[in-house]
Amino acid sequence: MRRPFEVFLAVSAGLILAFLLLPILALFLRIPPEDLLSQLTSQVAVDALLVSVKTSVIAHAVVLLLGTPTAYLIATRRFRGRSLVLTLIELPLVLPPAVAGIALFAAFGRAGLLGETLHAAGISIPFTQTAVVFAIIFVSSPFYIRLGIAAFEALDPALIEASRTLGAGPRRTFFRVALPLAAGGLSAASALAFARGLGEFGATIMFAGSLQGVTQTLPLAIYAQLDLDFDIALALGAFLVVVSVAVLLTVKLLPSWTRFTLISLAPSGRSD
Amino acid sequence: MRRALLALALVVLAGCGGAAGGGDKNDNATVFAAAALTEVFPQVDSAATYNFAGSDDLATQITEGAPADVFAAASTKYPDQLYDQGMVDKPEVFATNRLVLIVPKDNPTGIQSVDDLRNPDVKLVIGAEGVPIGDYTRTVLENMGATDVLDQVVSEEDDVKGVVGKVSLGEADAGFVYVTDVKPVEDKVTAIELPAEAQAKVQYEIAVVKDAPHHDAAHQFVEQVLSEDGQAKLQAAGFGPP
Repeated sequence: MRRPFEVFLAVSAGLILAFLLLPILALFLRIPPEDLLSQLTSQVAVDALLVSVKTSVIAHAVVLLLGTPTAYLIATRRFRGRSLVLTLIELPLVLPPAVAGIALFAAFGRAGLLGETLHAAGISIPFTQTAVVFAIIFVSSPFYIRLGIAAFEALDPALIEASRTLGAGPRRTFFRVALPLAAGGLSAASALAFARGLGEFGATIMFAGSLQGVTQTLPLAIYAQLDLDFDIALALGAFLVVVSVAVLLTVKLLPSWTRFTLISLAPSGRSD
Repeated sequence: MRRALLALALVVLAGCGGAAGGGDKNDNATVFAAAALTEVFPQVDSAATYNFAGSDDLATQITEGAPADVFAAASTKYPDQLYDQGMVDKPEVFATNRLVLIVPKDNPTGIQSVDDLRNPDVKLVIGAEGVPIGDYTRTVLENMGATDVLDQVVSEEDDVKGVVGKVSLGEADAGFVYVTDVKPVEDKVTAIELPAEAQAKVQYEIAVVKDAPHHDAAHQFVEQVLSEDGQAKLQAAGFGPP
């Protein structure tokens, strides 16, 4: 009785794995590897790579600087409206990217909510690299904060308590105890958020437009090259697969990641 | 493993086939049409199933095996290409179009002509190279000796709707679109005519896909588009005769 069930499990797993891996593998097999590499040195690809790296790094720095304290605050403090704040942070995670795009227009566009204020200050955001950075922050910071909260919540409260009773102030406790202990989880959160930001497409193409060397990121370049030069699109796609694999490996190799992986991947697991 | 995968694919296909069964029974044509035809084609034939997108994207989809019956493009380039590859029957010109310059109603940078686009404050949005509207825009600018206004481009859109959207939102100051794109947004944008001698030759071609799943319906659709009635509707929408 046991054997047929084992076979059933193996076949199910095999089918879904093959379905998931086949398209990714096909990306690499459609043209020879050396062509794939040579396409990556084309001007379009290099420009897109530079734009993506620049905007992703800036956006990610902002996400880390503001997101870490935010995650710590929500993980360690109980206050009124906390679950509302949590929901707001989770909202962009489930929002379709196109909605993020028009929402950014509605807020920061010339005809948007802050449009006149920004215009008076001589600032124009749409169609600039700032717009790309905004789009990335909008979609990737909720990712980081949500996983960051899980990382902080996974810490043993007794350790924080001990730090306090031994006379460390809240600031010292944060920097010397909580942050180092959560470092593994935060790094994993950081890597996943970075990957999410690097892949941002919908909000960027609407709010920042697509201009080679200015706002055309890697995913936008893939879209633009689809009809011009399919091989470049393939090469860029393969490149992003490699980056994604690297991100996942980094996450897997971070020791404390596994400790809270279950909690963090199920946001509803801790709804207090 | 291979066999199991095929079996799964068949199961999925069968499931989808069941869901799409209604469409198959009344044998309607699936029409892959240029974004510029979004408003008018359903008036010409309301029964057909439409997939509107940039002509280039549609061509890619058809090349990759999408189940299209008819391909109607905003240029002759892609239908001719697919014809050379043996993917479609001989394409026919069914309409013509012309380009205009559009600006938002409040026209914040005071644009009256193509020359005004040289103002360094202007945010110009155009179609990307390789997309019909993008290629025509470059032809028109070359004909006018005004390719330097391309310095003011802030975004290259993948289809004409992207240009229309960004100008009608008021986020871009100007864009080049087909005259037929203006009507749905005429309360938001002002169209500026371009000199007739600078116009690009914008021809729309239609072709039946070789492996069309609904071959008869595909031919009927093309006939309907080329008929007096179809042509009248196209011209009411602003298109020129073939």
